[in-house]
Amino acid sequence: MSTGQVVAFFILSFLAFSGAIMMIAFHRVVHMVVSMATTFLSLAGLYILLEAEFVAVVQVMVYAGAISILMIFGIMMTKHHDGEEEKPTTWKSWFTFGSVAAFLFLVYVSIRNTKFPEQTQQYVSENNVLEIGQMMFNQYAIPFEIISVLLTVAFVGAILIARREEAETE
Amino acid sequence: MTINMLTAFLTVSAILFSIGMFGALTKRNMIVLLLSIELMLNAVNLNLVAFSKYGMTPSLHGQMFTLFSIAIAAAEAAVGIAILLAFYRQRVTVNADEMNELREP
Amino acid sequence: MGTYSQYAWLVPLFPLLGFIIVLAAGRLVQRIGGPINVLLSIASFVVAALIGWERLTPGIENYVWNDWTWLKIGDFNITLGFEINNLNALMLLIVTLVSMLVQLYSIGYMAEDDRKHVFFSYIALFTFSMLGVVMSENLIELYIFWELVGVCSFLLVGFWYEKLEAKKAAQKAFLVTRVGDTGLLAGILLLAWNMPGHALDFNSIFNAINAGDLSSGVITTAAILIFIGAVGKSGQFPLHTWLPDAMEGPTPISALIHAATMVAAGVYLVARSFDLFVASPTAMLTVAIIGGFTAIFAATIGLAQYDIKRILAYSTVSQLGYMMMGLGVSTTFAAGMFHLYTHAFFKALLFLGAGSVIHAVHTQDIREMGGLSKHMKITTWTFAIGTLALSGVPPFAGFWSKDLILLEAYHHQPVLFVVALVAAFFTALYMSRLFFLVFTGKARKPAHPHESPAVMTIPLIILAILSVVAGFVNLPGSEKFSEWLTGVAPEEATSYVPMIASTIVALLGISIGAVFYWRPKFSAENVKKTFLPVFTVLNNKYYIDELYQKTIQVPYDLLAAFIDTFDKYVVQGAVSLIQYIVNFVGNITAKTQNGQLQNYALVLVFGLIILAAVVIWMGGGAEVWAISGK
Repeated sequence: MSTGQVVAFFILSFLAFSGAIMMIAFHRVVHMVVSMATTFLSLAGLYILLEAEFVAVVQVMVYAGAISILMIFGIMMTKHHDGEEEKPTTWKSWFTFGSVAAFLFLVYVSIRNTKFPEQTQQYVSENNVLEIGQMMFNQYAIPFEIISVLLTVAFVGAILIARREEAETE
Repeated sequence: MTINMLTAFLTVSAILFSIGMFGALTKRNMIVLLLSIELMLNAVNLNLVAFSKYGMTPSLHGQMFTLFSIAIAAAEAAVGIAILLAFYRQRVTVNADEMNELREP
Repeated sequence: MGTYSQYAWLVPLFPLLGFIIVLAAGRLVQRIGGPINVLLSIASFVVAALIGWERLTPGIENYVWNDWTWLKIGDFNITLGFEINNLNALMLLIVTLVSMLVQLYSIGYMAEDDRKHVFFSYIALFTFSMLGVVMSENLIELYIFWELVGVCSFLLVGFWYEKLEAKKAAQKAFLVTRVGDTGLLAGILLLAWNMPGHALDFNSIFNAINAGDLSSGVITTAAILIFIGAVGKSGQFPLHTWLPDAMEGPTPISALIHAATMVAAGVYLVARSFDLFVASPTAMLTVAIIGGFTAIFAATIGLAQYDIKRILAYSTVSQLGYMMMGLGVSTTFAAGMFHLYTHAFFKALLFLGAGSVIHAVHTQDIREMGGLSKHMKITTWTFAIGTLALSGVPPFAGFWSKDLILLEAYHHQPVLFVVALVAAFFTALYMSRLFFLVFTGKARKPAHPHESPAVMTIPLIILAILSVVAGFVNLPGSEKFSEWLTGVAPEEATSYVPMIASTIVALLGISIGAVFYWRPKFSAENVKKTFLPVFTVLNNKYYIDELYQKTIQVPYDLLAAFIDTFDKYVVQGAVSLIQYIVNFVGNITAKTQNGQLQNYALVLVFGLIILAAVVIWMGGGAEVWAISGK
């Protein structure tokens, strides 16, 4: 791995962290969504570093595009009393923080302690999009169809749930 | 560089996951909750892609899995927002701690 | 082998049938329930009479049937069955006859009562149980029926349960007899413990005694414990207190249960297990002394009572004491059983006569009665016969049976002979007082008495005839009855001393009564004033009830209060503590279910962390990877 890639990795990781932490720290919901978008974009950068260009593009389109926009629509359709409703920091918050820190520590320790075996082969992607396309419509055709159905059902369901009920408006 | 890139990516993923988990456990606003969950999903996705490149047998399967995961995350976000709207219409609030119907009265 | 004895089970079956029919039909047979039971009683009496007639055959064997295995515990069987011998054939006859007459009488007496069908079903159940007691072949069976008659007595004494006194009297009857029943049960258990093969049928017990299988200590203890049961049932001192109170029940019940049959069951029990008593001189002496004391003790109380039924009740207690004494002083049970037999008739007669009087004047206080002979001819004459029989005036039945007891006492226990004579004097005195106060003189209270209907007077007449003739079966010198009953000829020579003495005291008692109450030469009031302290003590029944109140009820109340306190504070406290702890824990844990999804998730994460920590601490994570990565 080249030095440039390492530098890019660090920059992108840093961006992702700051976006996530800002998401936690901000008071206004819109700001949070924007900071999350930063994280999503940084992650897309990391995917490119990992030679997963197609996934990166999908990440940008779905997360940074669709989901963020969806969230913003959600914000616009509901009222928020920003700032004034912040919970005081209670023992529960500290307990949660402690738990999460312990979790992170455990995961980190296990990552550090795990001896990953050497790679048996080097994978070099010639044309990432082409290969994914072939794979998706050959080996993964059935999961692909199933996920399509799932998406359709989810969206129809979402519309049904969110639809303003007639009886209610009358 | 002697740095093990797999370990690095996994650590980044773990940190992101933990931040997402913290948000999911502490934030009151349901939109932020949804965002936190998306963050956790993303951390997992990063894991998958990292293994797809640096794993013992690198292949595209990890990326395929990520794609499916992203699709499901999108569906989840859509349904989540729909539930949020329905709830908001009933209770005129988006605070998660007021969703406490699931208890002994 | 007899032919009729085999069908002896029919005798109790008829009343049981009547009980079931009347109980099941309920109000449907409100009017005809009585006649149905009377008819069944007649059937029962006929069978009993046939058996009795058959038993007259000389040298007839006892009939025993005990093939019904009731309980099987390991290799120990409790069988049920019945035995017919001369003793219980006599009892069958007495019980069925008196029961039949009393039921006939009750048709008239209870005519106005709304619950008479219930009354008749109880009487039928009682008759069944009493016959069961009589026919029982072993002690366990006897005990079952023994308790059943106790229950029937309770039900019938408390028949008019709207009356507080009746309710209390029923409870008292049940509880006081229970004291005796405990003794009986203890005696049965003691015998079962010590008998070879734990056999409890009478024949085995007698054989064991004759074979010397039981030690004399066991025999004495068992006999006295069984006697305690008899004391409770037969109203002997010191458990006599329930019997006068039991007069709160309907008068036919007093006649049937509390004069003729159930209270005599104690005497019957002693007679039935007489071999046991004979084997122990101590037990015999106890029986004789308790009987003699009860006889004179109750007779003196009878002198100072005003309630017609209570006088008769004390008279019953006194006469039962006589029977016990008769059993205790002699070597056979002939004397006691003979008195039981005659007493059943004339005491039932007296009670039924009293019932007829009460039916006419609607009061039980003899001071409010008077001059009834003008209005109630049949009742007066039959009551007079009963009075003479009870007083022991020859040639009425009571004289012969009392004479037999006195004869035995004269030969064996001279002290008790004197006691019995004094008791006989008091008996004659209070009976003449009762008779003259009720039937002669002027009416002390305006009333319009009338003779009772035929259905009530016919039993009176039958019983009066029996009261006259019943004694002739056992005249001194030709004691056929004693011989038939016990199988041995009486050994004592007939003596005219007790006969003459008892006649003199009986006539003396009646004369004194007549002088005071019939043609008053002296005022009874003056005597009463002179002996006021004595009268008060007698009128208050020697304060036995009060004594029991103080010595038994007060400590019992204290014990109950203590247990109540213990229950309230210790037991209840422990329960409350458990409840409090559960509540406390429940409240705490209930708080965790607050509907906050994030809290649930937090707990979930916490659990996950603990699990992960455990797995990693045990080095599991690396291992898993290493295995799968191979």
